[in-house]
Amino acid sequence: MQIDMADHNFVPYRRGFESNRHRACLIATQISCPDLGRLTGGMSIRLRPLKQRLFCRPARAYALGALLSCAASGQAFADWQIYVDSGLLHDSNLSRASRAEDVRADSAFAVTASAGQFIAPTGADGFTVSADASAEAYDRYDGLNHVAAGGTASWRHKFGLGYLAPWTALSASALHDDYRSDIRDSTYVHLLAEAGRRFSETFDASMGMILERRYAANDDPVVPGISGRVFDLAGRGVFVRAGYAATDHLLVGMRADVRRGDVVSTSKRNREIFLASSAIAEDPTFGDELYDYRLRGTTWTASAFASWALTDTMSLNLSYADQRTQAASGLDYRSRTGHLSFSYGY
Amino acid sequence: MHFRLMIANIALAAALQFPGWSCAYAAEVVATVTDDAGQPIKDAVVVAVPVDGTMHIPSHPHAQILDQIDKEFVPKVKAIVAGTPIIFPNHDNVRHQVYSFSPAKRFELPLYAGVPAKPVVFDKPGVVVLGCNIHDWMIGYVYVSESPWFATTGTDGTATIADIPPGAYALRVWHPQLNGGEEATRQNLSVSPGQTAAINWKLALRPEVRIRRAPAADHRGHY
Repeated sequence: MQIDMADHNFVPYRRGFESNRHRACLIATQISCPDLGRLTGGMSIRLRPLKQRLFCRPARAYALGALLSCAASGQAFADWQIYVDSGLLHDSNLSRASRAEDVRADSAFAVTASAGQFIAPTGADGFTVSADASAEAYDRYDGLNHVAAGGTASWRHKFGLGYLAPWTALSASALHDDYRSDIRDSTYVHLLAEAGRRFSETFDASMGMILERRYAANDDPVVPGISGRVFDLAGRGVFVRAGYAATDHLLVGMRADVRRGDVVSTSKRNREIFLASSAIAEDPTFGDELYDYRLRGTTWTASAFASWALTDTMSLNLSYADQRTQAASGLDYRSRTGHLSFSYGY
Repeated sequence: MHFRLMIANIALAAALQFPGWSCAYAAEVVATVTDDAGQPIKDAVVVAVPVDGTMHIPSHPHAQILDQIDKEFVPKVKAIVAGTPIIFPNHDNVRHQVYSFSPAKRFELPLYAGVPAKPVVFDKPGVVVLGCNIHDWMIGYVYVSESPWFATTGTDGTATIADIPPGAYALRVWHPQLNGGEEATRQNLSVSPGQTAAINWKLALRPEVRIRRAPAADHRGHY
């Protein structure tokens, strides 16, 4: 299975929760002029024309079934691959807030699992298709609790014989996130192209490109004329990573990502973020006075990890990521994420 | 001199052809290999080479088996005499592509399942490192000996070379993580008829660092 740090990097844009009760209330009352003033910090605003957006709702039934069928047809030489990772994570700025007063931190229990099949159609190619699932349960902001299910298909090609041969890989995955509230329910599509090389038994490196798209399932506008699809997001990024096996048990590595695209920052109402945002939604997860704003931004992420192999199928993992985002109108924010987990895979 | 050499060769050939006859005269060497801390070393190959260079090499050694089980080579270290064919049966559900770039034997078995049609003949003494192009972590070693008298240590660190003709031998030991050359381990030993000779090595080994198989924190290494 191919789950990479990019998945973790995208977590900030996927977090959020709005209770069904609150959403119903919003729909019933719609938005009034005082609400508008509250959101804009009292300034007068020019309502933007509602765009006729072509919302490409992805098919709920993923192509996973077809891919699994494809894998099953070649299962004479197909190898099952099972992967489970569970552990604790802590995020210093879950709200991705620019202002210190809006920053919310929390810890969560997270579990990821996948089951798939690997097929080697040639000596140089490997094809993997898997069904994936994940869940997160937060300590304080339980509105962020969610489950996700989907699938991944990936292909890897080696340019030559031996472990030193360079390789390239393509991967496509789709996950449907189901939060307690509908506002953050969405389908996440992730495309990855990567190329790398192992330089020795102990050192390898790779670089890649990521395209990601998140299709929000619901639209709950709080400002007339401004989209409420805060979690309808698009982004693209590049990364480099390197791993070094310090011992037979200890693997350490570093990764650097740059991503350009939509981000979601949660904040109390203020003029700057309102002017910079392209979508707004009320988000009771972090408090009644906080709103989610969709912004354009560039995110730099530096991450490091250490993995201790307990056996050939089990490991203890520790990772740390420092994420800095430069969003429009100087609405910069920073978050740090730590992740301690136990992994099992074969 | 020629006559004595001829007699020795005849005796050696007879010993190999008639094991029952040879038992009365042949001896054995029990080698113990430990590390610096005195812990037994597994998978060390002990080779005995007659000092006078007299060796009876089987003209057609029996084929040996080196399996692939659970995406690993089993055994990890296989010692053979030069000229021995090895068959590489694949017991996994997934296909393997076994290869070696070692000077002693370069070969590649194209992607296959089950038992390959042809064995690979290892006709040149040396160490052959095996890999699989599908599973980069798989590594195995074939030690191709120039001498027919060799053995591989087990978990207790001992190896027994049985039915070795009496005489003077130069013994050496090899291990995948041996720190330093194999020649540096050379020891001489006289083997008397019908007796058991003991020999010990204390080796310094490099730490083994294999390509990672276990799942890692960034969730990469499987495909």
